[in-house]
Amino acid sequence: MTSATGQKKRRGGWIKEEFGNAERRTAYYMILPALLIILAIAFFPIMYSVLLSVTSSTITGFGSFVGAENYIEMFQNEDFWEGLKNTLIFTVVSVTIEFIIGLGIALAINRAFRGRGLVRAAVLVPWAFPTVISAVMWRLMFQDQIGVINEVANGIGLISEPILSDTTLLLLGAIFVDVWKTTPFMALLLLAGLQTIPGDIYEAARVDGANVMQRFFRITMPMLKGTILVALLFRTLDAYRVYDLFWVMSGQQLESLSTFVFKSVRVSQLLFAQGNAASVFIFVTAFLIALIFIKVFGMQTGTEE
Amino acid sequence: MTERKAPRRTTGRKLNRRDFLKLGGAGLAGAALLGTAGCGGGGSGSGDLIFAMGTDTSGTLQNLIDKFNKQSKGFKVQFREMPTDTGQYFDKIRTQFQAGGGDIDVIGADVIWPAQFAANGWIADVSDKFPESERQKFLDAPVQSLIYEDKIYGVPWFTDAGLLYYRQDLLEKAGYSEPPKTWTELQEMAEKVKQDQGIKNGFVFQGDQYEGGVCNGLEYIWTNGGDVLDPNDPNAIVIDSPEAADGLAIEHSMLQEGVAPQSVSTYTETETDPAFLNGDAVFARNWPYMYALAGTEDYPDVKPEQIGIAPLPVAEGQGESASALGGWNMLINAASDRQEEAWQFVQFMTSEESQRIRTLEATLLPTRTSLYSDQEIRETVPVVALGEVALKNARPRPVSPYYSDMSLEMQEQFNASLKGEISPEEAVGTLQESLTEIVQAGS
Amino acid sequence: MASATATTTKGGAGRGALNSALFYVFLVLFVLVSLFPLLWVFRMSIVTKSNLLTSPAVTLTAPPVATSYGTVFGNPDFIQALQNSVIVAGVTTVICLFFGSICAYAIARLRFRFKGSIMTIILAISFFPAVAIIAPLFIQFSAVGIINTYWAMIIPDVVFALPLTIWILVAFFRELPRDLEEAAKVDGATTIQAFRKVIVPLAAPGVFTTAILTFIHAWNEFLFANTFIFDAAHYPVTVVIPNFATTYTTDYGAQAAGAVIVTVPLIILVLIFQRRIVSGLTAGAVKG
Repeated sequence: MTSATGQKKRRGGWIKEEFGNAERRTAYYMILPALLIILAIAFFPIMYSVLLSVTSSTITGFGSFVGAENYIEMFQNEDFWEGLKNTLIFTVVSVTIEFIIGLGIALAINRAFRGRGLVRAAVLVPWAFPTVISAVMWRLMFQDQIGVINEVANGIGLISEPILSDTTLLLLGAIFVDVWKTTPFMALLLLAGLQTIPGDIYEAARVDGANVMQRFFRITMPMLKGTILVALLFRTLDAYRVYDLFWVMSGQQLESLSTFVFKSVRVSQLLFAQGNAASVFIFVTAFLIALIFIKVFGMQTGTEE
Repeated sequence: MTERKAPRRTTGRKLNRRDFLKLGGAGLAGAALLGTAGCGGGGSGSGDLIFAMGTDTSGTLQNLIDKFNKQSKGFKVQFREMPTDTGQYFDKIRTQFQAGGGDIDVIGADVIWPAQFAANGWIADVSDKFPESERQKFLDAPVQSLIYEDKIYGVPWFTDAGLLYYRQDLLEKAGYSEPPKTWTELQEMAEKVKQDQGIKNGFVFQGDQYEGGVCNGLEYIWTNGGDVLDPNDPNAIVIDSPEAADGLAIEHSMLQEGVAPQSVSTYTETETDPAFLNGDAVFARNWPYMYALAGTEDYPDVKPEQIGIAPLPVAEGQGESASALGGWNMLINAASDRQEEAWQFVQFMTSEESQRIRTLEATLLPTRTSLYSDQEIRETVPVVALGEVALKNARPRPVSPYYSDMSLEMQEQFNASLKGEISPEEAVGTLQESLTEIVQAGS
Repeated sequence: MASATATTTKGGAGRGALNSALFYVFLVLFVLVSLFPLLWVFRMSIVTKSNLLTSPAVTLTAPPVATSYGTVFGNPDFIQALQNSVIVAGVTTVICLFFGSICAYAIARLRFRFKGSIMTIILAISFFPAVAIIAPLFIQFSAVGIINTYWAMIIPDVVFALPLTIWILVAFFRELPRDLEEAAKVDGATTIQAFRKVIVPLAAPGVFTTAILTFIHAWNEFLFANTFIFDAAHYPVTVVIPNFATTYTTDYGAQAAGAVIVTVPLIILVLIFQRRIVSGLTAGAVKG
């Protein structure tokens, strides 16, 4: 990101600077393999999809260049907006809840107590449960007449109609399932972050008379910031492309950006190019989300000097 | 070990997507990582003909293939198992076609796929091999599902149709000697039996937002004299009619009047089976397969002799019943370089003898009309005799290359109308507009 | 939140007992909530089809039967699939950790240009909707002949899991004190040696956590496996389990049984490695 200005100033001098320095050269060698793997596999298909999005292509053949037409049509498509709206609500709400609960759990199990090992393992179970099955199982539990959650929620007066036939309840249900499933991921990541905070810092703070809250906000939070931002960023991007949870659990009733892409690219015969436009839209907006984390929240991508 | 196959076809057309992509693939092959990774793959195929079809739990499919292989000279057929879920199967096969055809030669395909595959040039035109005189030996609706722009693209394999299941014992006890002929009668009977004999539900069917929901919705429209496409002009949408709207209104009234449970709008076949076979429903709309489940270990409560089968009821004043056609056809990959061998295999599988075995051993319904008068079949597989009328009344869903788009729209509108979120008039109005748009976008 | 520093408040006042009781109540509640759906799924796996689909009360009280497990273990593909899943997820994890940790160390510790750009690109690429690029991927993989092999699953799994691995490891590596590796370098170690001998052992909790997250990520992958694999000899469990169904109906009991069976090894895995997750740097502060 910062390269543009530097490039202009030194006109290629940076190449010498970067590769003349042994440490920097080593750095590039270390990065190269991972970067190559990702680019070799994904770069071409993605460029291809970008190309399709600006042509009138169909599933069987290349079309001619049509500029932004697919994008314009996409923005006029109600399903797309419905998907965007649901995706945004889902992402913001579920990630927020997951973070709060996840942090609480991480703090709770970052201490010595009897049965800690079992609790840690238990925490992971929802995350380890195969996603492709969990959506099916939750759908069954939400079913009217045969589903246990629908029955209980109905019994205590929480709902007045079957969960599966109301899209608002379905969205809430999807958020609930996501919180259940991915809070462990958040908790485990934050726990690992907590583990890297040396215990003696707390001791010192206690000696200085800092109370629990002070220690939490002055030591835990700042030292955990890097981990928190990584956890949040990944959960946000992951929730942002929610697909099977909506498609399978809601019986295709809930639209998300990814179900829109899926329907257009993999089911429809007509919306192929538009679906590719929507993919590029997801790609670009995911990129922007990452940028916001880096720029606005001051997420550091390395040891900047 | 199963051998691995590299796709073996190159089409010699203009620079198209495939070639473009191959360029990328070639560039990729040079990448260091794949240089090593590629070692595992490659190698030319064994030369077997590849036949794709969803998982077959009965085992008869493999037996038939083995039988074919024993008598076949020069080539063998290899069964490639596809996902059981029809939606996933469609997805998988479509991705392979999109990527250049893959190596599958013969495809067992859902009756709603041929038009789209044909329009994309993915499956072979078999009009010459399958002339009118041969087609007459098959049920008409499955044949129709294979015809696109006056050419035929495969051979019907086995069929399916929506049936009305009823509890004969309960109806008799309530004094009814015959199943309902109209939807109103069904509602009356269901109400009475439900009240008098304490049965939980009157009627269950598939109202969820999925392909089965389209079949159910269409049946209400058809049995009330409505339609989606103009029979005389496949590009004209005629769904915005009072008949179609009233048809959907009947479907909604089932839920509204409490004949069907509220949750029927989330029902698929999976929920229908236990609702009816546990004795919790008087009537059910389902495919023929359900009959064979009655009285089995899974569903011991309701025995086959308690169950009756009839064609679906019609609306007041309507004559002929109609059911949505289901079932499977056999298609040949247009890119296969062994069209003749593929055709031999298709002929074998759809022959009277093979269909007969498949009917007797896997209780799948034959597409050859002659088998419906086969005494052994009628006795061993009673649903053939019981459902004969409905099977012969079956109508294909709109045959269009854009059916998958049309289906997505219908799934949404039918389900919304069933739940009462929108009125039936609104549903057919919206569909008229969106389906017309789809058909026009294509032409 | 009070527990934030509970580790260090060893000798609290009299309310310590109450606190600790509350803590256990909270813990038990929490474990129950996260396990309940799985216990229910387990319950679903041991009732008959008709009992499963009647009402929750029936499901709960029905006599247990083993038919679903019979179905699952009676399917030879399932055992093979378990093995396939272990291979694919295991190899994916090893590859990801190897390349990911090297890359992450460079980003966390070494000075060079374009760091932010490279990190963002790596990240954004992995969030391109997989369904949109699956057809071109299919062609690429066909071209190099890896369709229907383990590599057709491992390679895309690595591509989509690497960014996660790299980003998490960068966050962990950055937290480690610099002086240890500086000392190693003063002793004449190269950058690579410093990384291998000092950083990796120190970062063990982070590395193991990342390994588990990556493993489960690959273990749960469905789309690539379902698209690129054609024969049962290579199917992972995520493809085999949904196939416990007929064209018309889903065999929920067998799917539940399958899901239970594949979750157990993962729990064991976590139990084995969980000591590692919490060792390392702070082992002295947290004794367990």
